[in-house]
Amino acid sequence: MSAEIKKIIFPIIKDMRNEMELESIIEDYLNGKLSEAEAQAFEQLRKNDPTVDHKVVAHKVFLDSLKDYASITALKDQMNRVHETIDVNQLSAKLGPHPSFIVNIWREYKAVIAVAASFIILTSVSIYSIQQNTRQNATVQLVSRDLAKMRNSTNALIRDIKMNNKVGQVVVNPADIGGTGFALTSNGYICTNFHVIDGADSVYVQNFRGDTFKAKVELTDTLHDLTILKIIDKSFLPLSILPYNLKKNTIAIGEDVYTLGFPKDDAVLGNGYISSKTGYDGDTSSYQVNIQVNGGNSGGPLIDTKGNVIGVISGKEKQVDGATFAIKAKYLQTALNGISDDSLSRKVSFNNKSSLQGLSRSKQIKLIEPYVFMIKVYKQ
Amino acid sequence: MSNKLSSSVPTDREVVLGILNNSEDALNRLYVGYFPMILQFILNNSGDEDDAKDVYQEAIIILYNKIKGGDFELSSKLKTYIYSVCRRIWLKKLSQESKRTNLSDFEDMESVEVDMELHEEKDKQFEKMQSAIIHLGEPCKTIIQDFYINNLSMQDISEKFGYTNTDNAKTQKYKCLQRLKKLFFQS
Repeated sequence: MSAEIKKIIFPIIKDMRNEMELESIIEDYLNGKLSEAEAQAFEQLRKNDPTVDHKVVAHKVFLDSLKDYASITALKDQMNRVHETIDVNQLSAKLGPHPSFIVNIWREYKAVIAVAASFIILTSVSIYSIQQNTRQNATVQLVSRDLAKMRNSTNALIRDIKMNNKVGQVVVNPADIGGTGFALTSNGYICTNFHVIDGADSVYVQNFRGDTFKAKVELTDTLHDLTILKIIDKSFLPLSILPYNLKKNTIAIGEDVYTLGFPKDDAVLGNGYISSKTGYDGDTSSYQVNIQVNGGNSGGPLIDTKGNVIGVISGKEKQVDGATFAIKAKYLQTALNGISDDSLSRKVSFNNKSSLQGLSRSKQIKLIEPYVFMIKVYKQ
Repeated sequence: MSNKLSSSVPTDREVVLGILNNSEDALNRLYVGYFPMILQFILNNSGDEDDAKDVYQEAIIILYNKIKGGDFELSSKLKTYIYSVCRRIWLKKLSQESKRTNLSDFEDMESVEVDMELHEEKDKQFEKMQSAIIHLGEPCKTIIQDFYINNLSMQDISEKFGYTNTDNAKTQKYKCLQRLKKLFFQS
């Protein structure tokens, strides 16, 4: 090491090799890894050469910032993990504001009011049912027929790509079905819809560069039509920290949202707004979104203007233009909690603040793109 | 209203020693223990659950840095400190959004101005670094994170990225670091 120092002391440092060595010496010096003699020689150099001294100071500021950044990021991860163990909804019900006098009366006389109310309801219902017995039956039938019709009219946004699929790197056969998915963690957990991979023989995911990776189904939540895949391909390198955040609170009607998906082989942007806080047939676990989507958008992330993922695109209503449904992110978190912590390593928690906040739409998309995948499903 | 905190709240001494010794458990118990207090405060002062989470986590970071920096004296109660910091952060956020600023209080408080200024400085640095790392691009981002944050050796990194020898990996790391420094110092 001391030989290297001497080598650097003399010539004016210009070429990269020397710059590199100088920096590695500065780093060793700052980390206290130089021997006493080397450190002394280096301090002498620092005194004589203001440029070197400046470099040492700048490098120290930089390394300290990087160290702080690392420790705060780890702390945030840890806090997010603990936060998930807290039942916030229950707490806020207990601790939230009780705005009015009426609420307090209600709390105090809950039992009495309940008994009185149920008595009144019971009485009126029995009278009503006696009077309306015949007519009611007919109405119920009508409603149920309506429902059946409606159910037929929503369709899943799966894409049939038998015809026009490009040949992937790893996979030779064209996929049977395509959808969209997005990364939940940097180590290869990906979210998509259950209906995309339902009955799959094998599943592959393709990133925006066109690289294809094999994946396996890690967890399914058929109730909410969600699935979590895990990339098991050896060639997959971990992604860096997720740029987006999972927003679990219900967001307001009218908020602008967008989605990235793969109705064709390149990512396509869909733009729209939340049109209802409930989904198909009043389903509270999803939103209705006014957004144009096509087959292949299923499983794509629904993102708000601040770059938070607020839902997962799942289907649309056939007869209504632009009525798309998206599963609320809250249920995604519930599904995620079903995976044991070990297998997710420590990267399951999302950033506290979305790093996309304040960026323009096009910049956000550029940062999100690497985290959105095309899902290719093969069936026998 | 009687909203007692759960009995598992660690003592102040436990928290300080725990954080100094990097004990995850102490921090977890601290987090769970005082969150209801802040949730109550935020919910009753025109915020929602997400606001409570953001404000509370920022306050814990401030406390963490203060304890790690060695200048935390147990002159006041931890609870009072956390409450005061959260209150101060929330007050600022409300005034930025020009909302009402007469808060309903639930706990005693103390002055935390000095700590807040220090924190704002640190937070700026954090955001600068975060944005620099986000804009760095691959494979640089992962190389830098692996070396400086995950403490992998150059040997490990060289193998992970398939460099033919450690020198190539070192050169790559050097180039990445220069780019990151440039992004960091220019922003």
